[in-house]
Order: sequence, then structure tokens, then C-alpha cells
Amino acid sequence: MVDLQKLHDAILNGDAKTSAAVTLDALGEKVPPIEIIQKAMVPAMDEVGRRFECQDYFVPELLLSARAMKVAMEPLRPLLAASGVQRAGKVVIGTVKGDLHDIGKNLVAALLEGGGYEVIDLGANVAPERFVEAARDAGANIVCLSALLTVTMTAMKTTIEALQAAGLRDRVKVLIGGAPVTRQFAQDIGADGYGDNASVAVSLARSFAKAPGAA
Amino acid sequence: MLERPFKEKPDFEHLRAVLLRECKDGPVPLLELAADPEIMSEVTGIPCPAERAREVIFANPDDFDLEKVQLGIALMDLSIAYSAKLGLDYVTMIPLVPLPRTRTQLANTGVGRERALRSWQDEHAGLIANRDDFLRYRWPSFDQINILPVDYAATRMPDGMKVVLMYMGLFEDLRQLMGFEALAYATADDPELVDDILERLTRVAEYTVGLAAAHPATGAIFYADDMGFSSGTFLSPRFMRQYVTPRLKRITDACHKHGKPFLLHSCGNVLSLMEDFIDVVGIDAKHSFEDKILPVEEWYARYASRIAIIGGLDMDLLGRGSEEEVRARTRRILQACASGGGYCMGTGNSAANYIKLDNYYAMIDETRRGNEEHGF
Repeated sequence: MVDLQKLHDAILNGDAKTSAAVTLDALGEKVPPIEIIQKAMVPAMDEVGRRFECQDYFVPELLLSARAMKVAMEPLRPLLAASGVQRAGKVVIGTVKGDLHDIGKNLVAALLEGGGYEVIDLGANVAPERFVEAARDAGANIVCLSALLTVTMTAMKTTIEALQAAGLRDRVKVLIGGAPVTRQFAQDIGADGYGDNASVAVSLARSFAKAPGAA
Repeated sequence: MLERPFKEKPDFEHLRAVLLRECKDGPVPLLELAADPEIMSEVTGIPCPAERAREVIFANPDDFDLEKVQLGIALMDLSIAYSAKLGLDYVTMIPLVPLPRTRTQLANTGVGRERALRSWQDEHAGLIANRDDFLRYRWPSFDQINILPVDYAATRMPDGMKVVLMYMGLFEDLRQLMGFEALAYATADDPELVDDILERLTRVAEYTVGLAAAHPATGAIFYADDMGFSSGTFLSPRFMRQYVTPRLKRITDACHKHGKPFLLHSCGNVLSLMEDFIDVVGIDAKHSFEDKILPVEEWYARYASRIAIIGGLDMDLLGRGSEEEVRARTRRILQACASGGGYCMGTGNSAANYIKLDNYYAMIDETRRGNEEHGF
């Protein structure tokens, strides 16, 4: 019988070959995809995030674990879609207009996906209307915005305003982050949450789900 | 508008004394890592095709043609005129190191100026992904490297001014050659490749920095190497201590051999490496600070007894704040850092094209007033 702890450890150690192999073995043994995610991937990526926050892990370790998680997730995606299993939530994520930096955004996307969320990644230099369109089409409940520069972060405000104008603001929570972004800035522009590093995004997303009147 | 130049006459010797913490008295000098062409153009009134100028700065060796050479000369003239107009003690030049690089992507930040383009390095892939790429890569020979911009400035800059040579650092080049994501994977998949690339880059840097530091017109080396992000170093301090800081020491030694100050610019939270930078590498000064990570006053309190501190006026304030806020913040920094010596006023990063020029002028003007109030 397949040992999901091996998948957990492979993700934690950034071992993509093992994570892919164990996942395929698990599917071969008819382990439900959602069980693979909940028993191995979510706790592994939670631990990766914890280690990153306490500086046991740095960006390479995070990227390696994300890579191991992604290759394991690959065969699960179509099965999850076909089964109609409810994920933890739907997240639309992107780097705002004028900004091409996306390593931080990619890390947040990987941690959220590993945390059980369906992630729609719009990439970098994303216009406000693209965020609106994607959030509406996907029925997203969280929108994550990333920026590297002090000037590009002003596009976060424009994006929140666009979500408001499109009538989506009451059903999506907006989470922002990036090098120049501060908690004060998040409050000033009316974002719902601010993460000063990638791993905070997952705990914030979970806190949204628990909050009264959650999206 | 700037009321008047920061200084009537450049005095690099005073700037040098401040950088080496040899004087506790005297005016607080100004020092920047760099100024974007748009800023230099607006300050001097000299037109500059900023977009094309950027192509020259990031050009690959094979891409150079007559037009790019002419633009390069225009940029050097602009840099000299900018320093003269502001009343700076130095002029910034960059060496010609023909390292083939990936093309940068450009995006319009869309603020402040009609066209405020920023260059962005491809973070996912570079020119070297494996050993074969490494072997095929056209590493420049020493005779292909030159410091003609230093020669050029030497005969054209005002008396009392010296060149501060900006050199793109090892880690920055490593990220450009591999792409950050590929580099991150390679630290686990093929650390020997990373080690070999760093070694080749170190030899190039040692040679170039040594060549520039030996030039009588060079006053200091400004080594630019972003090693951190907002909450820590990109790669683990252990990795940096094994692969990067010992090499950084070799480059610093190449500068110190000629008695020139070695100034380290590194963005991000590199607090975990500061003792290495000071005790092992032997840097003379640290630059690049963000209030979000740690305000410059705190850096000064912690490290100014051992190294000089440069700049620290937060880029967010310069980009989005008011002139009054910039003046007030400049005053607070001066109050904390001016009287002990070993401090140069400047931005937290560079005179980038997304800051408000009036805010930049306010920082300069307030520093000049502060100096005058103290009789300097």
C-alpha cells in the first residue's frame, strides 16, 4: 500500500521525481485525489511555509518544494475537475499592470495550490480589467495582487476599484503583497489582507474562509 | 526647482574622508548609486532618448554599432553634466565588460513621466542552464574588458570631482546568466555549475575592479549586488558564505589594493550577512535601505562605528510622498546620522525614473540647508 508520508517528505525535500512517482502509485491504488492533497500536499506545503517564515528555508527551497508539488499535482488536476470535488477556494492571482516581476507571485500561487486552493494564475503585467474578467468567469472568492515597485503598487488600488465598479468586491477578498507593500498601504487602498511573505498568503486565505460573512 | 547647486565646487577628498570615516566634522555629502537617464535629462535640460539609452547600457557585445557608441558618449556627457549641475563630488561611470546577457524586458510603469520604462530581467531562464551552455558561453578575455568611460570622464569632469565606478555584482550577474528560478533549482541540482559560473564571474570582476581602482581618476568602486528581499536573503546565508562572500572579498581586495573605498549596494534584508560583509569582506560602506525593512537611522546606530552608511531616503516616499514629507524625513535622518560622521545623504536605492523630481530636489536642498546651518 502506498505511503503518503513519502509524498509529504518528497515535497518537503524538493524531490520532484519521488513526488511524481508516489502520486502515480497512489492513483494506481485508487486513492482519491482529494485525499492525496489533504493528507500529503497540504501538510507538506504548510510545513514548507512554516520553515520559510522561520528562515530554515529560503527562496530556492521554496521553489524546489513548489516544483515537487506541481509535478505531483499534474495528474490530479483533470481528475479533480471531473469529480467536481469542492476545493478550499478559487484564487485569481497576478502581478499588477506595469510590473513584470513574478517570482514572489509564483511562490504564493504554489503555496496556495499546495494549500488546497484552485489557482488561476494570470501571469505578470496584468491589467485591472483582466483581473475583473478572470474573477467573474472563474467565480473566484480571492484575488491576489503582487507588485515589486513602489510605483507599480498603485495599480493595486486601480484593480480594487475595478473590482468594485464591476460589482465583484463584495464576493471577493483582495490580498496584496510584494517588496514595497505595507500593511498601512493595504488599509489605505481597501485591501482585505496583506502578506509580508509568501507563506502568509495561505493562512490569510484560510482566515477569510473562517471569518463571518466570508466570501 | 533646485534653489542652487548642492555645492559650489566638487570636493571628492571630503567625500572619501566621509566614506572612510576619517572625519567626524564637515558637511554631509550626497551620494547615489545611479540616476536614470530621464532624471539626468530633466535635471540638466539635455534631451536624452532614455529608451534607446537603456539599450546601450544593456547592450550585448555583438549589438554595438556606431549609433550605440554615439549614444554611449552622449550618456557619459549627460552623467558629467548632471553631476556638475547638481554640485556633486563625483560622476558615475560604468566599465565596458562584454558579458553576453539575456535581453531584459521593458514595461511602462505608467506614472510620473510620459514614458517611465523599467528594465526587468527574465527571472525564469538565462543563457546558462547546464554544463554545455557554460562551456559554450563567450566569457570575455581580460583584453576585451576596458574602462574607457573612466578615461573619458577623467579629462572632462570638473576639478575636484572623481569617478565612482558602478560595477554590477557577482550575484546579480549570476541571476542574469541563469535566470533566478533556474539558479534556485541549480543550487540543489548542480551546485558545481553554480560554483564554476561564480568563479568565472569573480575573475572578471577582480580584474575590472582592479583596473578601475588603479586609475587615478577613480575615487571609489560602487559594487551593486542585490542579495535580499524584504524579509531575508534570496539564498541561504550558508550558501552565500560558502560561495559568494569569500569571492566578494577577493573583489574588495582588488579595490583596496589601490587604496580606494569599496561601497556595497545591496537591496533587501541582508542583516544576516552584515557581519560577514564588514569583518570578512571588509566593505567600507553600505547602501540601499528601505524603511519597511529597517530605517536607515537604525542601520546607522548599529553599524556606523565600523562602516559608512549611504542614503536611505525611502523610495516610496520619494515616489509618492509630498515635498514637505521628504523635507521632514531628510531632517530626521540628518539629525540621527549627520553628527557622528560616516554618513552620505541619498535615496534608498537610486534616482530612479519613478521618483518625483521635486522630491529629489527637496532632499538635496534640505541637506544643503542642514550643512549651512552647521556652518559648512
